[in-house]
Amino acid sequence: MIISKLKATGFRNFASATLAPADGSNIFYGDNGSGKTNLLEAIFLLCLGRSHRGATDTIMVQDENPFYRVEGQIKTTDKNYEVAIAFQRDGRKKVQIDKVSAKLSELYDLFCAVAVGPEDSVIISGSPSARRMFLDIYLSQFRKLYLDDLTQYRKALSQRNAALKQGHDPSPFGTILAEIGARIILGRIQFLRELAISTSQFYGNISRGRSLMLRYEPSVPCDDDTDDLKLITERFLEKLDQVRIREQAVQTTLVGPHRDEIVFSIDNRPARSHGSQGEWRTAAIALKLAVYQMLREKRRMPPILLLDEIFAELDQHRVGGLIECFGQFGQLFLTTAVEPPAALSRDGRSFRIGENRIEGSQ
Amino acid sequence: MFKSAASIEKLANRLARLPGIGRKSATRLAFHILKLSREDACELADSIREVKDKVGFCSICNNISESDPCRICSDPQRKQDVICVVEETSDAAAMDKVEGFDGLFHILGGCLSPLDGIGPDDLKIMGLMTRLEKGVTEVIIATNPNVEGEATAVYLARLLRPLGIKVTRIARGLPVGSDLEYADSATLTRAMEGRQEY
Ligand SMILES: [Zn+2]
Repeated sequence: MIISKLKATGFRNFASATLAPADGSNIFYGDNGSGKTNLLEAIFLLCLGRSHRGATDTIMVQDENPFYRVEGQIKTTDKNYEVAIAFQRDGRKKVQIDKVSAKLSELYDLFCAVAVGPEDSVIISGSPSARRMFLDIYLSQFRKLYLDDLTQYRKALSQRNAALKQGHDPSPFGTILAEIGARIILGRIQFLRELAISTSQFYGNISRGRSLMLRYEPSVPCDDDTDDLKLITERFLEKLDQVRIREQAVQTTLVGPHRDEIVFSIDNRPARSHGSQGEWRTAAIALKLAVYQMLREKRRMPPILLLDEIFAELDQHRVGGLIECFGQFGQLFLTTAVEPPAALSRDGRSFRIGENRIEGSQ
Repeated sequence: MFKSAASIEKLANRLARLPGIGRKSATRLAFHILKLSREDACELADSIREVKDKVGFCSICNNISESDPCRICSDPQRKQDVICVVEETSDAAAMDKVEGFDGLFHILGGCLSPLDGIGPDDLKIMGLMTRLEKGVTEVIIATNPNVEGEATAVYLARLLRPLGIKVTRIARGLPVGSDLEYADSATLTRAMEGRQEY
């Protein structure tokens, strides 16, 4: 997958910026606050219609601009696509593929991208919602139905919560919630089962032999080696039944994928409470590398890779391990304040980002 | 001058209350109506009044109708013991074109949606229960296949099953007569999940 052209209008600090990236590495130099990361965000948005760091559309619109528009050309193994994502401050968002309006989920069908950056530490150290956001962005790229299910699940959840608040019988929406929620849980089980293995391999490589484990903890009790959708649905309904009285008191749904957790442990100790900044960064990088590799295999094309300041906090031997892990990558976008390792700048193009504009050089 | 501007604003405000019409299009429509010939404008006003005067709801099935009971409820040729439950009149019209169905309808007037403050009491469910006392053998639930429609179907099924009446739900998945190659992947996957043994 290759982005051959990008234009961002009214996006973050860019009134208007165009970029003609190289097929290989693209390196963005610039001072802090020059907007290097914003440019990565625009690239991720072009591919998947959302921010890689969870920013809302309103936040991504340049101050005092009524809208943003990010457009460009994306080449996949079979076709060239013209993609445009636009958002107006009044809330309207438009996705166009080859000038025809499209659903957000169609982007997930066609494209894939992995972003690695400083904000990733919160996947390990932050609240459970950061881990669920990670799941939602990346698992959606493996199964388009996961994204559809999430949308339906959120609808069923807010209907059920409204029923609880109004003192109506929540069980009809509970049945639907369990049906959709079980599919989401099973998707997460299967995804994390595979991801856990390659994440711990990558972590071992980068950290020279230390161990990272991850375990999925769904709020519905089920084994992480199950593939039985019917069983998960039944357990879901049982659990809803168990918490019924408590739910009526708090007037909100206490069971389901929206309460799920992933537990990371480094050298057999819970990473969230025991890890250091450096360990969190390394663990998050290992996780993203594993996602990258799984996506490349599953989608049969290298995803767009976005690396945001990943060399800043890692010591030298970790950087070395990291570069070994990348192996065969496709198109790469990299921000840095320092000279990047030579292995990452092959057939590349450099861009200097400053004063809200982009200067290119070969 | 000011007086006429006020009445345009009043018309625009009225139009903006209609579903799917925003403030901008309401204003545009109001100015369009202003430009109409007097005859055309009055015809529009008259047809609104006529609809309210002549069309009402069938007291049995809640369908919109110019007579009470409606054409369908008063047709003796139809199977009187099968009722197909739908959300809206337009759904009944669509189901009525289905070959092989010649039973009666019941229009709920919406679906369960706590977010919009719509609970079971806001739907025409009591009327349905009364009808069931007259020898109905099967209730076909044909609410929409979305979150709210499915929840409404679950609610109805739980309410009706203890009465010993056969309750069925229209199948989800591939529309009959559709081409596999044109079905979207979500539909195909659900159809695969819901496959049945012959
Ligand atoms: Zn009738």
